Amino acid sequence: MSDQNHDDHHESHGSIRLYMGVFVALCVLTTISFLTYFSWWREAVSPEMSRLVMMAVSCTKAMLVIMFFMHLKWEANWKWVLTVPASIMSALLIFALIPDVGLRMRHASYQRMIHAAELPAEREGEQEADKQEHPGPAQDSHGSEAQHPAA
Amino acid sequence: MSDKHHGPDFDYQVALPISRGKTFMWLFLSTEIMFFAALIGTYIVLRFGAISWPSTHDVHLVEFWGALNTFVLICSSVSIVLSLEAAKQNKAALAKGWMLLTLLLGVVFLSVKMYEYNSKFSHGVYPQHPHSGIYEKPDVYYAQAVRLRLNELSADIQNTKDRTPEQEQQLVVINDIARIYVNPAEEEIRNHPDSVKGRQLLWKLADVIYPLASVHDSHGDQHSSGPGHHAQRQPLGPFKLASTTSENDSAGHLSGLNDKHHWLKLPIMIPGGNMWASTYFLLTGFHALHVVVGLIAFVILMLMTLGKANAGVIENVGLYWHFVDLVWIFLFPLLYLF
Repeated sequence: MSDQNHDDHHESHGSIRLYMGVFVALCVLTTISFLTYFSWWREAVSPEMSRLVMMAVSCTKAMLVIMFFMHLKWEANWKWVLTVPASIMSALLIFALIPDVGLRMRHASYQRMIHAAELPAEREGEQEADKQEHPGPAQDSHGSEAQHPAA
Repeated sequence: MSDKHHGPDFDYQVALPISRGKTFMWLFLSTEIMFFAALIGTYIVLRFGAISWPSTHDVHLVEFWGALNTFVLICSSVSIVLSLEAAKQNKAALAKGWMLLTLLLGVVFLSVKMYEYNSKFSHGVYPQHPHSGIYEKPDVYYAQAVRLRLNELSADIQNTKDRTPEQEQQLVVINDIARIYVNPAEEEIRNHPDSVKGRQLLWKLADVIYPLASVHDSHGDQHSSGPGHHAQRQPLGPFKLASTTSENDSAGHLSGLNDKHHWLKLPIMIPGGNMWASTYFLLTGFHALHVVVGLIAFVILMLMTLGKANAGVIENVGLYWHFVDLVWIFLFPLLYLF
């Protein structure tokens, strides 16, 4: 135990330069995620890619903080006892939500669809049919949709 | 445990090779990881499952403040690490100095957060009724809410005996809004339910009260190139936007009637706005609560001698503070940039 403490102390002692290096890295990484805000970035990179970059940057920043500021890099094996189960539980929470994300994004319910700004492409045929039944102002898509609940 | 009554001589390690305080701080942090993972995971589900989600500029969210707060928290993480290093070397005064800096940076973070909250509250963006003025759709219920609010304002002014010129002016504004925007929309919807024109008028009403930056963007408005540019390009969609000549508020936000006349406080229409407000205030609120707890811990530490004897306490508080920083590292891109 005393050896461990000694090692710990020795490793982190006098590593102000290391902390400053981590600090600079964190600032640079924050700047990278902030760059995605600007229009020249948004024009060049797709939103999905931007989100991927942001998450990668965030994970890198998190690792830097955990390893150096929280000293986990220099801790003994007990660190796994506490962090691994918590990470597994967190991952399970996230995975448990994935079907929800997938289902809700892929199969919009009728209610959600008729309140959307634009109708999905496959319903445009029905729309034409509705127009013939109910002659009215052009682009009366929302109104005619509402009168015909989906099968 | 009783099964292990035989076998070779193990070199038992009765406990973790760290202090009890640190053990329990890490146990606590592991529960905190799960707590925030659940919150953030749920946010992602709601965010990407939502039929519509307001852009940052629709809800008065300024990316710069989020980035600044990230920077502030990173700085405070460094300062508390330096405080710990100083304490380990028994430089109590230096450690206290760094601790004070950490405390101040935490206060700066909370101040920026309060300023941000206030900019939302002042525009009627609240997570819940009765304060929240957010409507999801420009429908008859929205028009009705606007009508009720106008009637309420109008009745208040008419009931006062000695009206000031200012109040007379307000009455004119109220009557103008009712005459130009609310009446035509309600009449059209009443006479021709679900007609396109009625919907357009409702959109116009919502747009003139609270123009959405995202809608104007998608219609090709270049509000970065100045207000004069708006009128040049016609909107592509079926809805002609009433406020295409509206002036820019700050940082990409458009200003509508509610901004021009602060006393109006008319209901606003933000598609997905209620869900956004709920998740935003929940996530940032829980995070801010953690920051407050950290600040209390810093104040307690400031009352102690931060020498070698108390280095363990600083380390534990530091672990907690780094975790708070960690959560913000994920919240910043998710809330401000996604």
